Amino acid sequence: MKRYIAGVESTAHTFSVSVVSSEGEILSNAKSVYKPPEGAGIHPFEASQSHISSAPAVLTQALEGSGVGLGDLSAVAYARGPGLGPCLRVGAVVARTLASSLGVPLVPVNHAVGHIELGCLLTKTVDPVVLLVSGGHTMIIAYAGGRWRILGESLDLTLGQLLDQFGRHHGLASPCGRAIEEAASSSRNYLRLPYAVKGNDVSFSGLLTASKQLLDGGESFSDVSYSIQETAFAMVTEVTERALAFTGKREVMIVGGVAANIRLSQMMSTMSARHSARLTATPLEYSGDCGAQIAWTGWLAYKSGVSVPVAESGVTQSWRLDNVDIAWRD
Amino acid sequence: MTTSTSPGEISGKPGLLFRGAEADIVAGTWQGMQAVYKVRKPLTYRLPLLDESIRRQRTIREAEMIHLSRRAGVPTPYLYEVDVPGSTIVMEYIGGTRLRDMVGSMGDDAARGAFREFGAAAARLHSAGIVHGDLTTANVIVRGGALVFIDFGLSFRATRLEDQAVDLRLIKETLTGAHPGASRLALDALFEGYSKVSGTAKFRAVQRQLRSIERRGRYARVA
Repeated sequence: MKRYIAGVESTAHTFSVSVVSSEGEILSNAKSVYKPPEGAGIHPFEASQSHISSAPAVLTQALEGSGVGLGDLSAVAYARGPGLGPCLRVGAVVARTLASSLGVPLVPVNHAVGHIELGCLLTKTVDPVVLLVSGGHTMIIAYAGGRWRILGESLDLTLGQLLDQFGRHHGLASPCGRAIEEAASSSRNYLRLPYAVKGNDVSFSGLLTASKQLLDGGESFSDVSYSIQETAFAMVTEVTERALAFTGKREVMIVGGVAANIRLSQMMSTMSARHSARLTATPLEYSGDCGAQIAWTGWLAYKSGVSVPVAESGVTQSWRLDNVDIAWRD
Repeated sequence: MTTSTSPGEISGKPGLLFRGAEADIVAGTWQGMQAVYKVRKPLTYRLPLLDESIRRQRTIREAEMIHLSRRAGVPTPYLYEVDVPGSTIVMEYIGGTRLRDMVGSMGDDAARGAFREFGAAAARLHSAGIVHGDLTTANVIVRGGALVFIDFGLSFRATRLEDQAVDLRLIKETLTGAHPGASRLALDALFEGYSKVSGTAKFRAVQRQLRSIERRGRYARVA
């Protein structure tokens, strides 16, 4: 018999609710995205206020749009972390309320694991090396021995932060990835920037400083955008390649907000071909933060026995994905 | 060093041993001896300008570091020839098994011994001012009873505690990431070996730095 579960995402700028079935059908995925003012990043409190005001409409849209009766929900999942405290709490309150009023279990989900599991579902990927690139994460991950393991990561900024902070320096509003990608597409003039690969890890702070300096020194936004993309993307592609060569896996998957960037997927695709690995990328609609990643992973966790009493259903701002026991894979 | 072949050309019957992330490791011969050619092929996902300078820089530095490491008492392959324009290093062929492929089947005592030696070698490199930059179990070949260190492609000269701690962090990451079953025992042995060579004070300082780096990691909680 088909079962249904609702998932609530609210780790950063996105408040989203989704209903999925035990067969992996996404029946609804309603969302509202907080947009900070020009030149600014996410203000956690402002974002949480935005989530509070959009929550009722998003929730209604997701539940009604799914065509699933409230009484048919087996459980409610929520993003427990990692993320911004004020934002996480909004989602947790919504999920607790829904679960308690329906009398169904509440399932905590790690947001990053959510990105990966939804990606695997949608792209039919089984055992990939994952490049998770977003505003909150830059990690190279692979599954081994009951957990998703981190094989490499950024030692400082995430790729999303690098792009956002660079874009904001130019006066754009976060997220700036798309504007930078557009600006870069009209340049072929590479300006030398620091390329910092340390073992399996990358570091972006020097690259950010140097890029800002180039802008301040009068270089065009388009040339610097091109150069920052070429440098940063080559760095993450190189460390992903290292993880691929090291683990000998046959699949590579890109997930997270920055997965939407075409130049990055080009580089990853060239690299994967060199190792005869299959490259998959989560479809655009689901590559950024969304309720479906929480609902689907919530289902996987729920069916392997994970749930939390309401009294213990807090949020965890810092929650590395390699601390999550994965009972549904072997 | 003498040049017996034209740049980038591999003498003997070439056989691809391993396609690494940044280089092909090809078996061949050099002056009649069994040899390994490490060829940094252009990575086409990178801009040629960026790619060439990275390959050139890493080829030169790697040759230098392989040499300096042996001088510091850490076994490495002998260098036969360095071809900078072809970004190729020709070196001694090391017969044996990668530590990575042995960890799973090793007994506790053998593993303890190997990782103690691994740690001691890391400390020797560090006290000689060398940071390996890629200390994974895939880059250690077990030949007879001894560990031979390979792949100095990311090595550099540094004496900063930060760089040394990053070096150890990679081993830790590899052990918990790739060998979760053996990681506790291996790490303990590794640190024991390191500390024995470096001295306790130095070891504590590196450990402190390592924890500070881990705390800088995203969403990290370090005990």
